[in-house]
Amino acid sequence: MIKALIATAAGAALLALAGGPALAQNITAPAPTIPPGITVEAPKVPGPSLAGNLEGNATEREAMVVLPPSYKTSPNKRYPVVYYLHGFAIDGRNFYNYMKVPEAVARNAAAGNEFIVVVPDTLTKLGGSMYSSSVTTGDFKAFIAKDLVSYIDSHYRTIANRGGRGLAGHSMGGYGTWTVGMTYPEVFDSIWAQSACCVSPRVETVESAQKLSSVPIEQGVKGDFGTRAALSSMVAWSPNPKNPPYYADPPFKDGKVDELVMAQWANNSPLAMVAGHVPALKSFDAIGTDVGTKDGLIRDDTMMHEELEKFGIAHTWLTYEGTHTDKIAQRFDEIVLPFFAKHLDKAK
Amino acid sequence: MLKAIFAGVAALAVLAALPAQARTDRIKVHGASLEGNLEGNSPDRDVLVFLPPRYDSDPGKRYPVVYFLHGYSVGAEAYDALAKFQEAVDQAAAAGNEVIVVVPDANTKFKGAMYGASVTTGDFERFTAVDLVKHIDASYRTLARRESRGLSGHSMGGLGTLKIAMKYPGVFSSIYAMAPCCVAPTSITAEQLQAAQAVTDEQVATAGGFALATPATLSAWAPDPQNPPHYFASGIKDGAVDPLIIARLQANAPLVMLPQYLPALRSLEAIAINVGDKDFLLRDDTLMHEELNRFGIAHDWEVFDGDHGNRVNARIRSDLLPFFGRHLDK
Repeated sequence: MIKALIATAAGAALLALAGGPALAQNITAPAPTIPPGITVEAPKVPGPSLAGNLEGNATEREAMVVLPPSYKTSPNKRYPVVYYLHGFAIDGRNFYNYMKVPEAVARNAAAGNEFIVVVPDTLTKLGGSMYSSSVTTGDFKAFIAKDLVSYIDSHYRTIANRGGRGLAGHSMGGYGTWTVGMTYPEVFDSIWAQSACCVSPRVETVESAQKLSSVPIEQGVKGDFGTRAALSSMVAWSPNPKNPPYYADPPFKDGKVDELVMAQWANNSPLAMVAGHVPALKSFDAIGTDVGTKDGLIRDDTMMHEELEKFGIAHTWLTYEGTHTDKIAQRFDEIVLPFFAKHLDKAK
Repeated sequence: MLKAIFAGVAALAVLAALPAQARTDRIKVHGASLEGNLEGNSPDRDVLVFLPPRYDSDPGKRYPVVYFLHGYSVGAEAYDALAKFQEAVDQAAAAGNEVIVVVPDANTKFKGAMYGASVTTGDFERFTAVDLVKHIDASYRTLARRESRGLSGHSMGGLGTLKIAMKYPGVFSSIYAMAPCCVAPTSITAEQLQAAQAVTDEQVATAGGFALATPATLSAWAPDPQNPPHYFASGIKDGAVDPLIIARLQANAPLVMLPQYLPALRSLEAIAINVGDKDFLLRDDTLMHEELNRFGIAHDWEVFDGDHGNRVNARIRSDLLPFFGRHLDK
């Protein structure tokens, strides 16, 4: 079921983006228009939290930093920052391209909602960091909440406190929004998850577990979206520094599904995390989440909404006619940034 | 009664003009993290504070603090009756290891907080790592820094030690888990879930031992504010055990948490885990030791001659306090 959902999402993404013919290819999108006044920088951000990762993922990560028009003309002004996390099988720059971030920043600035938007790159060997804390992929949770935030605060005129920081993301980035937010609630004021993936615990059958456990790594890195997503989950959630070449524990052991591995994966499920992170979630100024009615992830995302309701955690919940990808750029511009405008401290 | 005895002993000591006299404080610590919990557990917790003998006579001196979390089914006073902490603190001080020992009470409606961040029991993880530490640092002459704070506990308290060290890095520099419980993930049956829901007030009032362990774990790890009277999840969905409740329970097992908290564990100066060779937890705790090894996390591991409880008193003296004496900054 989960595999089917991911496959659907992947299919939708590839169709929508007219990606290359090879399924293994990461998703690309043409460079966006940069409206007058907008400045885009692409610093390499050092990630001490990623040092020593066993996959050999780069520890310096490109971050697309989009500055609003007045940044240049008002040299004493400080700005709220929205951190925007990309999905699986795409890098930060191509996500920034696809989401037309410069145009969204320009339109919102013109409407009086001035932000810096930062899109960090977290692409890994197998297609996505899952924004988790793994010795194999690197501690991407801490990279986002600590390394990146501290770099941006020390290199740009930000409102360098919780009240000036928002966290958002799409798909795997929506998942990261939940998990990074719950783990580091003191860093961000408000969060928004678009079409969040991987919300309920990932489950394997004996057959799927066995299959996943027998993929040679040369094929794994070139696998289709579903295979790479499963392998990325494995290296993020059941890392094992003593089990090369993936440096992870597969979900299959002694002819059965390995229950400890399943439990470790489930421990990374936002739905399983909520009950143990209620104070963290309640500490946010605001929470929002949305998903398209034609997105296979609507079932999972609805469960997340219901779980938040159950614990009395106030949040905005929206569904809209759309797929996993067809409205997300527009909604970032029209829904997500205006949401942060209501809740983050204003540029001053 | 106890207070009277302590007062009496203190008076005698003064009369005898001993050079210094140890003092035990029995205080209440308010837990903002426990406010509004659905079980009605008091947010004002009993806390025992065992001061070293020269604390009052040497008012310029600051001390490292060892926090000790008690086990399931009883409270802090019962552990003190077993461990005799003041005597242990005095003996350690005589050997040059001057520390304050703090024992917070975590007894709840179902006889133990099980260290979840739960709306039903209250967030005992945060209470311990944030509210309690802040209160102690504000009220006593502590060395108020990570390098001089240790966290320890027995059984359920050993579980709390491991979980809090993972979730609140930066507060404690060294940890010591004695026979930690609940290390490995377990499953649960529909019958167990139904029995837990059906627990009556009378059973709550009279049950002893581990009779309420299942509702205690459900309250801590699978709270449900919409499911009175106990406010934990029924765990039954479409007539079968809801896989999500198993995931929620398992998410609290240190063995399951470990791969996601390696940076926190690696940031510790020292970790000790030990268990008796006749303890029913030997297998689970051995798994934890092996898992730490697998991830290359240095730790002291010992299997000692004993069962689950018969060496607590002795090992606090022979091993736990000396461990912190070696690792906490003085």
